Amino acid sequence: MKEGKMIAMLLAGGQGSRLKLLTKEVAKPAVPFGGKYRIIDFPLSNCSNSGIFDVGILTQYKPYQLNSHIGIGSSWDLDRRTGGVRVLPPYTNEQGGRWYKGTANAIYENISFIDELSPEFVLILSGDHIYKMDYSVMLEYHQEKKADVTISVVEVPWDEASRFGLMHVNPDMSVIEFEEKPKKPKSNLASMGIYIFDWKALRKYLVADEKDSNSSNDFGHDIIPKMMNDGKKLFAYQFEGYWKDVGTIKSYWESNMDLLAESNTLDLYDRDWKIYSKNRHLPPHYISKDASVVNSLINEGCRIEGSLYNTILFNEIRVGKNAKIVNSVILSGAVIEEGAEVYNAVVMENVIVKSGTKIGTKDDTIVYLVSKNKIIES
Amino acid sequence: MKNCLGIVNLSEIDNNFGVLCQSRPTSMLPFAGRYRVIDFILSNMVNSGITGIGIFTGNKVRSVMDHLGSGSSWDLDRKINGLFLFTPTYDYTATYKRVGDLDLFYQNNSFIKYAKQEHLFLSKTYMLANIDLNEAYEEFVESGADICMIYKPVEDINQAYIGCDMIHLDQKGHFESVGTNLGKNKKFNLSLEMYFIKKEIYFDILFDAIEKGSANFLKQALFNNLHKYSVSTYQFDGHVSCINNIKNYADANFAILDSEVSNDLFFKHGQIFTKVKDEPSTYYKSHAKVKNSFIANGCQIDGYVENSIIFRGVKIEKGAIVKNSIIMQKADIQKNAHLNHVILDKRAKIGAGVTLIGEPNNPYMAGKKASIDKEVL
Repeated sequence: MKEGKMIAMLLAGGQGSRLKLLTKEVAKPAVPFGGKYRIIDFPLSNCSNSGIFDVGILTQYKPYQLNSHIGIGSSWDLDRRTGGVRVLPPYTNEQGGRWYKGTANAIYENISFIDELSPEFVLILSGDHIYKMDYSVMLEYHQEKKADVTISVVEVPWDEASRFGLMHVNPDMSVIEFEEKPKKPKSNLASMGIYIFDWKALRKYLVADEKDSNSSNDFGHDIIPKMMNDGKKLFAYQFEGYWKDVGTIKSYWESNMDLLAESNTLDLYDRDWKIYSKNRHLPPHYISKDASVVNSLINEGCRIEGSLYNTILFNEIRVGKNAKIVNSVILSGAVIEEGAEVYNAVVMENVIVKSGTKIGTKDDTIVYLVSKNKIIES
Repeated sequence: MKNCLGIVNLSEIDNNFGVLCQSRPTSMLPFAGRYRVIDFILSNMVNSGITGIGIFTGNKVRSVMDHLGSGSSWDLDRKINGLFLFTPTYDYTATYKRVGDLDLFYQNNSFIKYAKQEHLFLSKTYMLANIDLNEAYEEFVESGADICMIYKPVEDINQAYIGCDMIHLDQKGHFESVGTNLGKNKKFNLSLEMYFIKKEIYFDILFDAIEKGSANFLKQALFNNLHKYSVSTYQFDGHVSCINNIKNYADANFAILDSEVSNDLFFKHGQIFTKVKDEPSTYYKSHAKVKNSFIANGCQIDGYVENSIIFRGVKIEKGAIVKNSIIMQKADIQKNAHLNHVILDKRAKIGAGVTLIGEPNNPYMAGKKASIDKEVL
């Protein structure tokens, strides 16, 4: 074992079925976000900014785009001679092939991979969340508390608390109780699905959990409660800052819109904590003399001749003359033709919104997901 | 193009650019919001399948090294072939021998000698174009010529190409001679200073010139000997910008505001690659008003921008006005500043309320990290 060494295991196999068509072709971590990123860029950039250079990425659901996005990890400086990024899909062995049954099982199936790297700590991450966090500070905290498990938590509004897995804690932040989506919450500290385990301890629990046929092989449901019961030392680590689980089309749209709000706390322009992504080598965008762009984010390769208000454009988007886009997220390669109007929408990749089309209205409370063949309301 | 080795010479005249070339060669001039001039020829070569490229860096090495790094942005960090950099060497060779670039080519002879490729592609960087070198190369190989020169027929109304090489063809379209354009004829064939040459001919010319002392520069040696060899030509018809003085540099930048030019330069025969900066998208705030401008990523704009080229990471605050200007990387233009016909180098800071007005043919220029807090008249 290498003392003090921490590796990250990033769970990126989820479908995110509530995102509907957005995840029809890609796993949730590969869903585009914030004008130029994919969701997984956030935990991956956090890893390299935190100095974690061993990252295993567990894939399962439609991994093709995710794999090509990750490549050998060079976008995040994770193409290393020692360590680096490894994509870990389910595999076959003498007993046949197995899918990952749950979050804990996915790690169990890769015990030999982790043993090979021989870390003292394992950081479990999820590829579904938008946030910037220094994991090395969380590790210091874990070591200071001499914890067996440290769970990162974030304060959520009381009225939303029952949607989350909640940590009830002592004043010293040791965990008294863990409740998964309780009706009457005792706490508003939600688990972010980020755990630091002592690898030796976790390994034992993973092996035992695998033998338990009643287990759902999930960290939140099975491993954490079992460790609690056994009197292991669990600590909550309180995270301050922007954190969002992009679960539904509406929350996807909202969290994109968050970036345009004056109160936005997710600073993408911080040069000391850059978010990295695969680079497409496109020229800058062009804004014509007829265009109007207000409170919007625009990425490279776009050509804007219409008007944008409160809108996020990904790369290579064409907006024709007199087209109007308000409160919307437009993904790469889309074309909004002359005179078309788009309100409150998420327009998917390469969709052409024809001239004269009108999607949504100014005062809508509904969000529209626009794909090539249909529009879903959310 | 497997059989062709690329060689780029960065020692160019750079005293026509004022403060912009104080610490960088022409080839490293920032261009079109996120590029450097050198990106174009490098990308052309890579897109055409040249995988081995040697670069003679000239004296202003730091800027070159910083930009090129291992060559990974151009896919040139290779085991087989890849990027090779040749810096000037300082030793006890008599100074007179080191006038010109010929001695440096000779010193790094073994790079070319031991390369497997039988043909060389020699180029400078200041003729900016998106060109399919593969087509030119195939014509050169098929023709069986020793040397091939690439040119573009131009009509030089604004006399932008004074001092550039011009190529003369006979009535059958065969190469006749090469000379310098003094502006007598508006229509002529502009040499792009891109040549294909057989390796053995290159050595003949190089050694001959050194032994006879007949030239200091490789180009000079080449031109002196053209009559001895069979020379073919290749006509290029796309957009060319010649970056040889401030006026041309500014015009070349503003030319990309025309969609035909930008499509030609950025997409025609493949993408242009450059060093990646991982900037987020550009944020237009609630007071932003932007007209006819080319804007790179990572900017935060809350002011008025018109007919301008804005590089990566520039901040333009509320009430600021930027017109007809080229604003380079990470410049900071504060509240109510007013800029017209200005070129700002990297990280320049223009204080609140400052007015800087240049002229269309003589832009106001501020050097790298310039900090201007008071009116300059």
